[in-house]
Amino acid sequence: MSDPRPVPVKASVSRRRFLTVAGAGVTTSALLTMLDARQAPAQIRGTTLRILQWSHFIPAYDAWFDSKFTKEWGDKNGVKVRVDHIPHLELPARMAAEFAAGAGHDIIMNASSILTRLYYRSLVDLSDIYSQGGKNHGGWIPAAGPLVEVEGKHYGIPMFYILLPMLYRKDLFDANGLKAPDTWELARVAARTLKPKGHPTGIQFSQCADANLNWRSLLFSFGGAEADPSGENILIDSKEMREALRFAKALFDEGMTPEVFSWDDASDNRFLASGIGSWIHDAISAYRTTEDTNPDVFKNTHIGLEPAGPGGKRVSVSSANVYMIWKFSKNQPAAKEFLAHFMDSGKEGMTQSRGYNMPYLLADAQKPMPVIGADPKMQILQDFPKIVAFYGYPGPFTTPIQEVVNLFVLPDMFTRVARGQAIEDVMKWGVGEYRRIFAKHKRA
Amino acid sequence: MATQRTTRQKETRRHLLIYAGLTPFVLIAVFPIYWMLITAFKQEPDLYRMGNIPFWFNLPPTLKNFSILFYQTHFGDWIINTMTISAWVALITLLTAVPAGYALARLRLPGAENIGIAIFMTYLVPGIILFLPLSRVVATLGLQDSWWALVLVYPTFTIPFCTWLMMGFFKTVPMEMEEAARVDGCGQLGAFLRVVLPVSVPGVLTSVIFAFTLSMQDFLYGLAFVSPGDQKPVPVGVPTELIRGDVYFWGSLMGAALLVGLPVAVLYNFFLDRFIQGITGGVVK
Amino acid sequence: MTTASLRGGPEPTARAAVVSAPAPTAERAWWGTHSAQRKIFGYTLLAPAALYVLLLVGAPFLFSLWLAVSDANVGDPVARFIGLENFRAAWEMDTFWIAMRNSVVFLVVAAIFKSLLGTSLAFLLLQNFRGKKLIRGLVVIPFTLPIAISVLSWKWMYDSQFSVINWVLSRLGLIGTYGSDSWPIWLGQPHLALAACIAVNVWRTFPFSAIVLLAGFTSVPLEVIDAAKVDGCSFFQRFRHVVVPMIFPILMIGLLFDTVFTLSDLSVVYLLTQGGPGNASKILPVLAYQIGIQAGNLGRGAAIALFLVPLLLPALFLVLRNLKRREY
Repeated sequence: MSDPRPVPVKASVSRRRFLTVAGAGVTTSALLTMLDARQAPAQIRGTTLRILQWSHFIPAYDAWFDSKFTKEWGDKNGVKVRVDHIPHLELPARMAAEFAAGAGHDIIMNASSILTRLYYRSLVDLSDIYSQGGKNHGGWIPAAGPLVEVEGKHYGIPMFYILLPMLYRKDLFDANGLKAPDTWELARVAARTLKPKGHPTGIQFSQCADANLNWRSLLFSFGGAEADPSGENILIDSKEMREALRFAKALFDEGMTPEVFSWDDASDNRFLASGIGSWIHDAISAYRTTEDTNPDVFKNTHIGLEPAGPGGKRVSVSSANVYMIWKFSKNQPAAKEFLAHFMDSGKEGMTQSRGYNMPYLLADAQKPMPVIGADPKMQILQDFPKIVAFYGYPGPFTTPIQEVVNLFVLPDMFTRVARGQAIEDVMKWGVGEYRRIFAKHKRA
Repeated sequence: MATQRTTRQKETRRHLLIYAGLTPFVLIAVFPIYWMLITAFKQEPDLYRMGNIPFWFNLPPTLKNFSILFYQTHFGDWIINTMTISAWVALITLLTAVPAGYALARLRLPGAENIGIAIFMTYLVPGIILFLPLSRVVATLGLQDSWWALVLVYPTFTIPFCTWLMMGFFKTVPMEMEEAARVDGCGQLGAFLRVVLPVSVPGVLTSVIFAFTLSMQDFLYGLAFVSPGDQKPVPVGVPTELIRGDVYFWGSLMGAALLVGLPVAVLYNFFLDRFIQGITGGVVK
Repeated sequence: MTTASLRGGPEPTARAAVVSAPAPTAERAWWGTHSAQRKIFGYTLLAPAALYVLLLVGAPFLFSLWLAVSDANVGDPVARFIGLENFRAAWEMDTFWIAMRNSVVFLVVAAIFKSLLGTSLAFLLLQNFRGKKLIRGLVVIPFTLPIAISVLSWKWMYDSQFSVINWVLSRLGLIGTYGSDSWPIWLGQPHLALAACIAVNVWRTFPFSAIVLLAGFTSVPLEVIDAAKVDGCSFFQRFRHVVVPMIFPILMIGLLFDTVFTLSDLSVVYLLTQGGPGNASKILPVLAYQIGIQAGNLGRGAAIALFLVPLLLPALFLVLRNLKRREY
């Protein structure tokens, strides 16, 4: 492997300067205590560790991670750490290329689209540090294990997840005598009331990550399910699924404009920031975008708990982030050491990400959590770990579910209904797609 | 006197007609560019207000987007990488496509036509099919995550293109010129190097330009083979590092596009005359 | 000039044909004496290019053929031979046929617009007028911007809320205001989404078509046109019988190269719509990417991508045949 050129001085200096501003408030002593807690084995000294991860939506987080967090760990253990970034949507392509090449990074991150089960034969078994991490930090939230578990072994470390709460305009709600969108029904009433006043709502009826997450939150809160806990049986063909589809159609007809068919993950951010949207169901990046671009709207934007379904159930489907180690990595001990250290630094990550990263480890999820525990409007986010779920709920995130997610079958079902296709026709199509995909993987 | 005026009037009318005809084209081509230029200097809040006029500054212009580009990304490296990659690709393309084009056009080799078609056909194979096997090749050669990987793979589409281009050029060079060279005692190689090549310079330049532009149009290979921030070329670095999660850095994105696109456009325009001349005038020189 | 040497290639050689007409006998004598040496020389010149594409396109292509007849998945190093199963499975997918249809529509519509716009622009640029260089420089800009980045800019121009296109149309009174039914959602309405993708492609590449054609027009020898004038041909007759046959091969080659690049390139559609809404703008490379890479079915993805090749072959043969027929 050719040795890549070192980062030019100019860039690294400026990055560091950038970081000093961003990282203000973090005491070095706390960090040092954390670093001392763990002593890495000597054999990893003098090695190089290469990490591939997404571009975090908060640039300061990447600056912290690249030139402070990994650097300090590396200096302490004599390891040279290099971090590369690509957008989360392109991670699968990059992973396929590294797999085909049998070379690349030591550690690779998956975001939203978790490919552990596709690649586990080529990944290192991390069960030991997974269970050690659980022991050290009060255990894992129940939804964490199935993300990375294959045949009893853990092939990845869930590091953090991204929540998609309700973000609503309290000023508009109050002015029209509307109750906070604590249930999906209330959210629908609000949209119906506010659309004629120029403030519709919007959820992506399209092929993007948010659509996969949001419509599952709705479906599961309506009591629906995707697959049973064994992961073998499809549960999508249900009364609840039909109700959710019917509800989504009504929500679209009454409260949205057709623009939602063109939306990607970023569109609802702008929709809120422009002051048009009455509420959206999105990651807090939308909240942060609004803070930076439209302070008036930001002041009146409040965060709500996942709305409850008709039966009072709340399930919040979140975007998972998982780190894995390639079997072809020549530096597995250092990679494992680093991931263990990263697990131990969850709170620091939450701080640096301005409350964006949510912890899988229960000790980190205790109130008050960093950043979000201190912000009155964001405190509600601390109640999400109890209701968080991932794709395939209540079953695990299996290979067929991965394919279903990557081919956007579920959002397509909602889209077809919103476009006016009969619910039974859509059910027939969607269930057919699920069956076809499940059958193919069973055969293989 | 009278005829002069009518000539001038005629000329004016002709000009007006031409300009009228060109206006829509210029608008279509330039309107998005102008709008990108404005956006690159806008503050972010200016973008997210529906009442704002998109063609002008509703808030004071800012250089922040460019400072993000230069201080928070490896944009400087990306430009250097792009230039270096393109230069290498152009060189490799010339060294292979020029001789090949000559051989196919001039030497009447048995099977030349089929070989020509075969080379052309490789241009038909989509990158989507090739990128996984190629990543194996790239890794075996130890080029993964270095921009050299792109120097290796970009000629797979520039060579077929430029071979065909050069074939066309060489065919326009009159056979007598080579014969004359032979009479003067040049060998086959000598005739090629000293007679045919010099009159084909415009064609060679055109190939270089194409190698440059085609190298800047790739996205997939760059994405798959090069992930370190300081090794990416501009067309890969910008979309991969200025889209963060669900946040787009619009101003910086567009600034980056223009910073590399406009100089190339100027260069391109400069060589355009040579390109056209290469086909028409090169022969009679 | 003999017919053999005129086959194939972007052939702009009408003038050359006029200028160089060496006596056939002399030519044969010249080449005939050095036949063996000439062949060695020729193949040596040809070898680097041929080897390069053979190794870096041919070999990977064969590997993809193997993928297409195997059950290869990402992450699973062991693949079994399963015959034409992947092709059959693709054949039975609704989405595959939608993608196939969209690909053909994309190809044809984009080609028509590119030749129309390209031809008219080339005609205009053929004239002499002041500011010609400046205007020529301006219209080639779209072609010189890196494709991935300019597509992202278009994505912003097509935004459902902040579309600058809609802003203009709305101010001109051609469409309603935001939120009204006549406010187009470029990337969200099925018929508009594909059109929007095609428009970006046309915008990007019509300057290129124009330049290639301009070269073609300029190469039509003045003597030929003058001769036609003397013969009393009208402008349209001249255009129809003299100019068209001469530029046609160039037009075809230019279009073909560009079309191949367009169709096999996924960035326009992938970055604009991901093939949506639904599958309304899905084209084969995007489908192959989603199934092969994102969902991990390498074999199935390779099979779908391979369907691009037969789609492009007829175009290639048509063009090559045309080139041969139009030799003179």
